[in-house]
Amino acid sequence: MNSRYLQALKCVKPDRVPFLPAIYEHKGWFTGKTPSEICRDPNLLVAALRAEYETVKPDALTIGVDVYNVEAEAIGCEVTYYEGDDTSVPAINPQAAVFHEGDNVSSLKVPDPAKDGRMPMFINAARTVAQTLGKEIPLRGAVSGPFSLAAHLAGPQKLLLFSMMQPSIVKDLLGFAAEAIKRYGNAFIDAGCGVVMFDSYASPALFPPDMYREFVLGPTRGIIEHFHHRGIADVPLIIGGDTTTLVDAYLETGANNILCDAKANPKEFLKKCSQQNRAYRRNLDAAFILDASPGEIRKCALENLEQAGGYAGFILGTGVLQYGTPLAHIVAVRESIEEFSRQTGR
Amino acid sequence: MQELDNLALLLEQGQMQSVTTLTQQLLDAGIPPQVILNEGLIAGMAVVGKKMRDGEMYLPEVLQAAGAMQAALKLLKPHLLRDGVPSRGTVLIGTVKGDMHDIGKNLVATMLQGAGFDIIDLGVNVSPEKFVQAVEAHKPAIVGLSAMLTTTMLTMKPTIEALRAAGSDVKVIVGGAPVNQNFADQIGADGFARDAVLAVERVKQLIDIVP
Repeated sequence: MNSRYLQALKCVKPDRVPFLPAIYEHKGWFTGKTPSEICRDPNLLVAALRAEYETVKPDALTIGVDVYNVEAEAIGCEVTYYEGDDTSVPAINPQAAVFHEGDNVSSLKVPDPAKDGRMPMFINAARTVAQTLGKEIPLRGAVSGPFSLAAHLAGPQKLLLFSMMQPSIVKDLLGFAAEAIKRYGNAFIDAGCGVVMFDSYASPALFPPDMYREFVLGPTRGIIEHFHHRGIADVPLIIGGDTTTLVDAYLETGANNILCDAKANPKEFLKKCSQQNRAYRRNLDAAFILDASPGEIRKCALENLEQAGGYAGFILGTGVLQYGTPLAHIVAVRESIEEFSRQTGR
Repeated sequence: MQELDNLALLLEQGQMQSVTTLTQQLLDAGIPPQVILNEGLIAGMAVVGKKMRDGEMYLPEVLQAAGAMQAALKLLKPHLLRDGVPSRGTVLIGTVKGDMHDIGKNLVATMLQGAGFDIIDLGVNVSPEKFVQAVEAHKPAIVGLSAMLTTTMLTMKPTIEALRAAGSDVKVIVGGAPVNQNFADQIGADGFARDAVLAVERVKQLIDIVP
């Protein structure tokens, strides 16, 4: 087993900094399939994951493609898929929300991962990958965070307005979302994987930091505690954007691996995470990875490594990579880590 | 005028009911609708935009204020039409293909409406072909492209290319969380705005240079 990533999560110095590029829809590119194909066919998804593992050589794999859609779709939201060679990423139309003003949250049904929507497909793929790669590399099933799931159920704009005008609805929706997420996460755990939680709709660009504490922190902490009780010690929490103002709140969720996205302040994350002996992943900007030359990417990666590569809980990754991002650009990040390790011993 | 200042403040606070009530009272008192619009509603939203840029207001509060503005605009619109206040032009707006996010686009559309523009909102997940067809059909002065994701903002470039390939020289303004001026320049956009209030200013600037 490649334990580099697991050591970093425990802030035990690994042999080198782990490499965790955010590859979701881009997985399909490695096997010549579109995001809409790999997110609906377990065999294609498994093949894409294997190809990602063999070509990119990351230090952990994520079982997920359109990571914010799966629970919402299983509850009743409609996902737009793209046919033919269209490589757009499946998404939920905000106008097609399933929860409306005047509805009662109790009317929503927690989905069954064994039969609702594409949950069984992802769980089957997770089980297969766990059987074939589970002894070689850490695997994490992608689950939504509670705010992001609630945003899909009510529509993002409506959820934000509810938070101002009818806050009890937001609390109820997030409570429901938490139960749905726990159940989906349980299925990943039963399939032999860990979990990774994504909640970028709760980023400060959309939702104020004080409201994050009021509405989101509690349900998030509850989900993470639940997974801890299921024996999953390592639960990463991924929230993109400039989240610098929320580092303390993220650490309070109990997540032992939080995200320092490209727009966030890396010094603040390093300071606070090292104070609390918690891991964090620094992302390089995905658009930069797409457009820059491998040389420019190496330079940027090395700058980040110089700054934080000595911290045992530091992980280097990328933002969500665009479908078709050249392999050499992604590999340049890993090679920078290897070069940094050779030169510094860190 | 104190009442107009109050209207601006109520709008800033997102108090929809109070905003519509005061707007109606001002209309009943014979205040010209354009004055109510400019010195009450637009003035209030300008404060909202500045506070958002300065990190003093966040999106839920901004949406609440925009909702109040839309409600007041419904009251004002018949009066503006009756007074013969001309449209400042048509803006065609949409979120680019592959992207379903609409909050930013909706905010920009509301602000432009408030500033006197006619809006044609193509919605979300709009293909370059659909933009081209809509431009040919509606002949807008400006096209606004929105994207929320780093992965989808790249679709702005082929959209602009499709417009140019179709022979359109319509001015294109871009915006959205991951977009910046540098990116706008790279893809050949005519303008960029980082929030809805600045989008109105930028559109006005671009309109002025349209022959």
